Amino acid sequence: MARASIVGAGMTKFGVHERPLPDLFADAAFDAFDDSGIEPPEIEALYFGNAMGGMTENDTHLAPTLASHIGCTGVPAQRFEDACATSANAFKHAVEAVESGRHDVVLAGGVERCTPETGLGTGAMTKVFVSAAHRQYEQPAGLTFPGVFALLTKRHMHEYGTTEEHLAEVAVKNHYNGTLNPRAHFGRETTVEKVLDSPIVADPFHLMDCCPFSDGASAVVVASEEAAESFENPVDVAGVGHATDVVPLADKDALPATQAARDAASQAYDQAGTTADAIDFAEIHDCFTGAEVMATEALGLFEDGAGGPAAAAGRTALDGDVPVNPSGGLKAKGHPLGATGTAQLVELTEQLRGEAGERQLDDPERAVAHNLGGDAATTVVTVMEARQ
Amino acid sequence: MSGSEPSADRLDYVEWADRLRDGELLGQECAECGHTTAAPKAACAQCGSRTIATVTLPTTGTVHSETTIAVAPEGFEGEYQVAVVRLGDAKILGRIDDTVDIGDRVSFTDVVTADDHPAPVFTPV
Repeated sequence: MARASIVGAGMTKFGVHERPLPDLFADAAFDAFDDSGIEPPEIEALYFGNAMGGMTENDTHLAPTLASHIGCTGVPAQRFEDACATSANAFKHAVEAVESGRHDVVLAGGVERCTPETGLGTGAMTKVFVSAAHRQYEQPAGLTFPGVFALLTKRHMHEYGTTEEHLAEVAVKNHYNGTLNPRAHFGRETTVEKVLDSPIVADPFHLMDCCPFSDGASAVVVASEEAAESFENPVDVAGVGHATDVVPLADKDALPATQAARDAASQAYDQAGTTADAIDFAEIHDCFTGAEVMATEALGLFEDGAGGPAAAAGRTALDGDVPVNPSGGLKAKGHPLGATGTAQLVELTEQLRGEAGERQLDDPERAVAHNLGGDAATTVVTVMEARQ
Repeated sequence: MSGSEPSADRLDYVEWADRLRDGELLGQECAECGHTTAAPKAACAQCGSRTIATVTLPTTGTVHSETTIAVAPEGFEGEYQVAVVRLGDAKILGRIDDTVDIGDRVSFTDVVTADDHPAPVFTPV
């Protein structure tokens, strides 16, 4: 049984945008409205994600502003903030709202600008991002977000023998996939050598192991199981898991385990009545190459320690047995924080409908999205299934 | 009401930071489950108990993970090494003076301060 269905999906190109947040969000929302054939007054509520707008653009209380901007004036509208897992959490609440019977058709999505269009350079934006780490026990040491994932990944390398070459293979694969996605921030291929030759950001991560600062928006129209029947092309949400892990990261039992992802995946698989073995492809939160490796293990797609070798062997490529990030992922598609979670669901929707163009996988039936926020603290995992 | 009484002397951040500046690393040990942390909380992060004792952590430990940050946030000058250091049963994030690898022994020797918030500095031994 579906918990809900996505009946419309839209997103802007991810990259550098001069357009302010309301205009960017409207582009994604209208894309989703047009895809579903719905008009703004039919939307009953807005579940909206933006992570850092207060700090980056002095722009807060955005939900009613954006609802007004897209013709949904007066609906209950609320903003969610969970670092990089922001719009997946907005989506989770949208699913619960239609599942409970509170609403029939709602909009979930997010928007963010992270490039110098905000007026902030790399150092200033790095400081904004690290606000998602513990203020008292992590920020004073000078930690950064590449640093957070570097600490997790270095421990993974120590315990399992994962190598920098394994990590680079993830970047190469996602950059290739990005060349097939017209909405990706990066549309050029790279090589292991280029990744390893790029400057260090926080070892083991080179610049090319890191996702870019991106601007963009994404949105999905979420309908109840009953309401979805009146739309042309619904794709079913079979499970949504949401878990958090202890903060700060030093308190985690096992750094490379990313326990919240394991817990959220377990919830999502249980709700969907499925297992990792039955997943045809995954969109994974690859903010850094090491994050993708650890997530493939946490989601049960590979045994612990096998994620790096699996990537290097091509098993996660478009033609592999478990394609990961056909969209290009955060690494190549881009990472406008608040838009990232629902953008993963846009990719799941298009792939499960068979509408993904050049990067279309071979008739996938079931897929998983993994959206992570903070120092591997918040994780939302969503299982979606094609309608038979 | 559970059988346990909330700790009368709950270690808060101001006290933890003051003592850190004075060269002492305080942590907490849960009376219920034994979980030990170097980042004090109002209740145990493992079991939720509010009966947690303030403990003095050892000043020498082992590097559990580390990275050298080359691109620093505004207000910091890269590059520098940070590490998760295991001190007895607890782990803590700190700055490294010199360079270390996972498994190296380090000792708490100093603090760095950012926006008036201190962080411990560890040196290889």
